[in-house]
Formats: sequence, C-alpha cells, structure tokens
Amino acid sequence: MQDLRKALSAHETLSIEVYKTMWLKVRIASEDLLAVAQTLKDEGFKAISTVSPTDFLEEDRMEMNYFFENYTTKRNCWLKCDIPRDIEACEIDSITPMFPGANWHEREAYSMFGVRFTGHPDLRPIIVSQDFYDKTPFRKDFDWDAHEANTVENIQQIVDAFKEEQEVNEEHLDASSSEMILNWGPTHPASGPIRLKVHCDGEDIISIDPDIGFVWRALEHLVTKKDFVGAIVAVERLCFMDNINSMVGYCQAVEEIADVEITEFAKWMRVLLGEVSRISSHAMGMGGFYNAMGLHTVGMWNMDIREYFLDFLESYSGARIATAAIEPGGVRYGLQMNMLDELQKALDKFDATKDDIKMIFINNPTMKVRAAKKGIITAKEVEAFALCGVVARSSGVKIDVRIDEPYAAYAQVKMDYVVQKEGSAKDRLSTLFGELEQSIDIIKQAKRHIEAEIENGNFNPTKDHMVKVPKKLPKGEAISRVEWSRGEVLMHLVTDEKAKSPYRLKMKAPSFNHTMMLNKMLQGETLSDIPLIFGSLYICQGDLDR
Amino acid sequence: METLFNIVVFPGMFYVLAWTVLLFWFFRKFMAALHKRVGPSFNGPAGSYQTLFDLSKLLTKESITPDGVNPYLFSMMPLLAVIIATLPTAFIPWTPDVYVIPTQYGVLALVVLIGIEPFLLFLTGFGSNNKYSFLGGIRILTQMISMETAFFLAALSPALLFGTMSLGEIVEQSSWLSFLILFPGFVLYFIALLGLLEQPPFNIPDAEQEIVYGFYTEYSGTNYFLLKLAEFAEFMAVFAGAATLFLGAYKGIFFDGYIFFFLKMLLIAMLMMTIRASTPRITMKQMLNFSWSYLVPLSLLNMAWVLMAKHFILGVGL
Repeated sequence: MQDLRKALSAHETLSIEVYKTMWLKVRIASEDLLAVAQTLKDEGFKAISTVSPTDFLEEDRMEMNYFFENYTTKRNCWLKCDIPRDIEACEIDSITPMFPGANWHEREAYSMFGVRFTGHPDLRPIIVSQDFYDKTPFRKDFDWDAHEANTVENIQQIVDAFKEEQEVNEEHLDASSSEMILNWGPTHPASGPIRLKVHCDGEDIISIDPDIGFVWRALEHLVTKKDFVGAIVAVERLCFMDNINSMVGYCQAVEEIADVEITEFAKWMRVLLGEVSRISSHAMGMGGFYNAMGLHTVGMWNMDIREYFLDFLESYSGARIATAAIEPGGVRYGLQMNMLDELQKALDKFDATKDDIKMIFINNPTMKVRAAKKGIITAKEVEAFALCGVVARSSGVKIDVRIDEPYAAYAQVKMDYVVQKEGSAKDRLSTLFGELEQSIDIIKQAKRHIEAEIENGNFNPTKDHMVKVPKKLPKGEAISRVEWSRGEVLMHLVTDEKAKSPYRLKMKAPSFNHTMMLNKMLQGETLSDIPLIFGSLYICQGDLDR
Repeated sequence: METLFNIVVFPGMFYVLAWTVLLFWFFRKFMAALHKRVGPSFNGPAGSYQTLFDLSKLLTKESITPDGVNPYLFSMMPLLAVIIATLPTAFIPWTPDVYVIPTQYGVLALVVLIGIEPFLLFLTGFGSNNKYSFLGGIRILTQMISMETAFFLAALSPALLFGTMSLGEIVEQSSWLSFLILFPGFVLYFIALLGLLEQPPFNIPDAEQEIVYGFYTEYSGTNYFLLKLAEFAEFMAVFAGAATLFLGAYKGIFFDGYIFFFLKMLLIAMLMMTIRASTPRITMKQMLNFSWSYLVPLSLLNMAWVLMAKHFILGVGL
C-alpha cells in the first residue's frame, strides 16, 4: 500500500485515503486518468473490476468510479474523478486499450449514462434494447413513465431493428463461399436468453459477437425505487441460483453506511446460508456443463441432491429459491434446531452420492477427450479481463474474496483456494466439484460452531439474528465485495442525506466479464465447441444483464 | 390372406407401431431410472399410455411447412423415410414361421435398406431451407459415410462365416461357438450402430445444444411424427439385424420363440441407453478420426479373424 502511495505521489491527487484496510481510495482530476491508470498497471493492478458512473443531478456532475484490483497482493484501488454531467461534454478517456477488461463496462456506462469514452475501440450500446439507444436510462432525469407509455412503439422499434439487421447481416459476406451468420440464441436449446451472432464458415467459427440484454430488468434502477429492506428482493434476483450471497453483499454495504455491527450469530448464519446457496448453484453449474455436451444425467443427479438443500432453505425461510433471507442488520429469521436436521439430511445425501459422481462424471474419459484441450484461459488473460471465481481459479490464479478480504465469519473458517492448473473447460468442471466439496466442508464447520455456541449459551438463535438498522441512512457511500458462486460481486452503494432508499447501487457481476471472453475463446473453433465453452464458463444471464 | 396379415399386422404396420410405442415408453422409463427420476407415471399403468397420447397429439397438431421450401420434398421425405425404415422387417426371420421374404440375399437387403435411410434424412435437412437443418443434413451425411463402412463390414462377418447371405440360414447355423467367434464383429456392429442411429456419443447430426435439432428443426405435427416413427422403425431394423446376425434371433435356451428375439432386442436397447446416460457427445472431427483410424481398420481385421476362425476352428476349407 505504501508503494502505491509513493507511486501515486508523482501524480496530482485531490485526496487519498485508506479504506477498509484493503483499499486505497484516490480522487483525481479526469485529465490525469490515463496517466494514473498506467501507474496502477505498472504497480501490478492489472485487473479492473468495474467502471461505475454515479449521476449527481443536483451537483451537476457525473462521478466516475474505477475499481482496480491487484491479484497478487490482493490490494485494491478505488479511483474517483468527476466529469461534466452535460450530455455533450460528458466525456472521458477510455482505459480499454490499457485494460481490455474495461471494454464492456465502459460500453455499459455509455448506454446507461451517456458517458462517451474517447479512444474506445468499439463504443456501441450494450444490454439496452434499441428503444433505449441514446436515451441514458440510468440518469436521474430519465423519465421512465414517459418511455413506458409508448410500449407498442418501443417494441416496434426493436422488431424493425432486428429485421433490418437480419436483412443486411449477410450482405458483406462472399456469396460464393460457405460463410454465413448463425443466430445462436436467444431461443436456442442451449443458449438461454443470450444471442451469439456467430460468423462461421461451414462449421468453423470466424468470429462471435454476443448480443446480451434479453433479461435486462434494470435492477440497479429498481433498487432506488425501494426502501433499504425492500431492495433485497431486487438484489437477490441477480441470479436465482445463488441469491443469498448477493444479498449478503448488499446488506454489508448498507450496514457499513449505517455504521451497524451485526451479531456473531448472524455472521455465522450468513456463512451457512451462503454456502447452501453456493451448493445449489454449483450443482446446477455442473449439470449445465454436461448438458452442453448432450448428457443430462449429471444435471438430474445434482438436481436430486440440490432439492435436499432447498428443503433446508425452505424450512428456514419458507421459500426454496427466492428466499429473501438476508436483511440489513443480520438474517431475517431466527434458527430452530429442527432446521439443522434438514441440513444434516442434505449433507448425508451429498456424501452418499459424491463418490458416484466423481467416478462416473468427473473422471469421465469421453469428457476428457472433449474438454481437456478446449477453452483454455491463461493466468494472464484472467488478470487482463478481470475474470474471477471458478474461472479464475481453474487457471491457477489464487483469488477468493472469502479468503482475501474475509467478510461475515469467513475469517474463522478453515478453507483454502480450490485451484487447477491448465484453465481448460475440464479444469473448470473439476474446480466446480472441488468447490462443492469445499462448501460442504464449510457448512459442516459452521453447523458445528453454531451448535456448540448455542449449547454454550453464547448464541441465542431466536433473538440474536437481527440488530436494528435505522430506516433513514446518512449520506455516504460504501463498497462491499463477496465471493458469489460465479465469482466476485462488487456492490457500490451511494446514499443521499436522510435517505430512505439507495441513491445508486452498482452491482458488478462476474458473468459480464466472462461473456466478454467468448469471442476470443471461440475464434477458430468449431460450432460443436460453442456450447461446451459457453457452458464451462458458468455464465448466468441473470447477472449478465442485471 | 397371409400376405395381408404380414403387411398389416405382423411384422408389418401394426407391429412397427406397437414396437414404436413400447420402445418409446421403455426408453423413457429406463432413462428415468438412470436419471433418478420417475418418468411418465400419470396415464395408465406406469405411465404407459403417455406415449399413445403423445402420438395422438402429434398426429392432430398442425404440420407447418415453412416458407420457401419445396413442399413436395419437405412432406414426401418423412413418408418415404417411414416406408424405407419399415421394409427390413420383411427380410427378418422373426420366428421359425414368420419369415416374409426368405431370400438368398437377406443380409444384402438389410444392409442396403438400413444404408439408404440417412440419405433421406439428409434430404429432409437439405429441403428445410434452414441453416441449422442444413448443417444437420451435412453432418448426417458425413457420419453415414464414415460409420456405414464399419457397419457393413461388421454385418458381413456372419455371412462370411456361414458362407450364406440368407438370414434364415445364418440363424439356423448359429451356435454358442459361432457367437464367440462373431463376438468381435458384434462389438464393432454395436459401435457402428450407435453412430448410425445417432446415439451418444455419436449424436452429432441432431446435437441439440449445437445445431438445435439438426434436420428435424423445421418439422412439426404429422411430419415430425412420421420422422420419429421412421427413427424407431430403424431402431428395430438395426436391433433385429444385430439379433439375427450375431445372437441367433429366435433361438432360446429351452424353447425357440419370438420372446427370445424380443428380449435380445431389448438387451441391445438397454445397453444403448446406458451408454446414452453416461457418455457426453464427441465432435465431428473426433468421430471421423475414430471411425477411419480405428473402427474401419478393426472391421477389416475382424473379417480376417472370421476367415481364419472358419478355417482353423470350424475346419471349413476356404
């Protein structure tokens, strides 16, 4: 951290402070951005987590936030600078040439806030549909009601744009060749709501252009319409497969602004619930990997195991999928001991099945023939594109927010990085399974700890789960990171004076970065590799579009 | 009268239809058990009416012909596919008595009729005016060329061993010894069968996750039903071929009868389903490599083995 301070002293900084021990919060003038970014890169901050503009309507400024991460030292840098809010002058240098991982994040800022990035190689709108082009929906003065009044016209606009594109998209191709444009999605059996525009020559892929945004729910805008507790239902819809951990991230940010410390019991409950949720997600992720190769058995077997874990979530919160179980101030409900019996059943179920799954599917020879050499991501690419979670660890990069910047009770949990070496599709499957086993282990630790502490009388399971968080929060901002099932989720929460609802919430979700890699990974491969590589990246469209 | 019975009931249309319904249901139930699911369970005993309902649903649904296709080609192919796929039943000795066309060239007829089928499916893909269908059509053609070589060579090994092309005679001459001699041929036949019937790991032509549904993509309603019927009739032809050529058809342990033929076919189906439940799909390139580098050379070796066994074990002069 001192090194970075020294390096940054060469530049003119408006303010510089240490934030939450792991972060250095630096405010600079927007002209210095490229120079400072270069210094950061030289200092080893090679990954950019996200780019998040905040629109301050009354102060007439647009605040840009850049979150740089150093994957080796685990120190991070939060860069802030102001640019004019006026749409004509809302311009800043693009850092994409320096940090390729910023590419889509800058496009997103451009589509949502109208920030123009000079020097960006490919500044097209992303996520938003054609009716939102040039309309900057996330600015505070955007009139949603007026926009939604013209639903029919808006839909017509999307339809027209699509038809026009279909008419011209093959015009530039050589008519005598075998080249064509394939729409892989959004109604393709294996795609989910994403469209890959595949430019291919017969079965060989020339290039891929992902078209995303089919499940864009504007969650980041939606939370600003709700109070701080109500916002959790929007946050958990980041992706239904692992909803607990995203709520944990949001609640931590709220608690930080409210300056509330939650109880030890609630911290352990967050670990317990979070790992159950991670298992339910990883189980589906493994199924998705094999489904992509036309084998549904794993998906079914894992679904069978997953049901038992959902039983536990149901006994705890009353809901199996969208639990809304984490709230600012702790966890929503107290714990009854018979709920832990449900959990024990699930753990037994997993232990009874895991050897079969490992033998038949993790060591499957046909799968190895297929996937051992496909979709390789090097450790360098992981840093350049700020990949995280399972994908990063499969390439041998040791990052895991649970260990690097422990939150909840993870500091007391015994765990290690689950890593593989090569970074191929097969390795990502192995990591997934390794993490499943790790999560089971963490659940066992947490369960033991909670049971012991209740026995000792240190935890009161029916009273300790919540502390009061005021309804109105002071002006402030906070970031919080959690290790979500797919990787790092970074929540950047900004509140106003006496706020009843968030002023701005930026949710950085991992699938966005992973999908950015698709074109790079699939060039020169064949059509058969699209589902395999796509499936192995463990992408969920929910957190891709938000 | 007997001809009419053969055409309409056994082993003709009704038999093929009943087989399709039963096998469809059996596949679902067997697969469900492997998947740790229940499978169809509401309609009828153990959900056995479900397939009937599905068939009647498909028959009554609108059959959509997309714009820009040749409607004759598009709708003719499913019908032709069913007829061609049903024809081999006439050449197979189902029981000692039911043997509709007892020709000298049974093996040849079987092999040729099974071999034509992929061409028809290719034409359905070709005639669908859809990129995914076309890719599926190309894939099935590629797969057919590489898999059928091995399939034919393996199917010819019993003919070589017994010195006759007549299926009836092959069955009559078959014994436990001949089964052992022909076992490598049976394994090769079975692997090639997986490729021919587009079963995992060779389900490349209708790889759902890659090219939607291959040549099936544009088909719906009755046409889709006919294509499915053709697929299951072909299952029957190929399974029956395996049972006849290698496993001694209707020959049983204590008595001979159709029931043994049926059990043998079911055994092959179960083997196929188990592989399907545990093996992911390979790619086109890997399939081509496997077929031409391993399967075809091994089939040729197998022919040499059969000839040697015929000479040295059975003691028949060449």
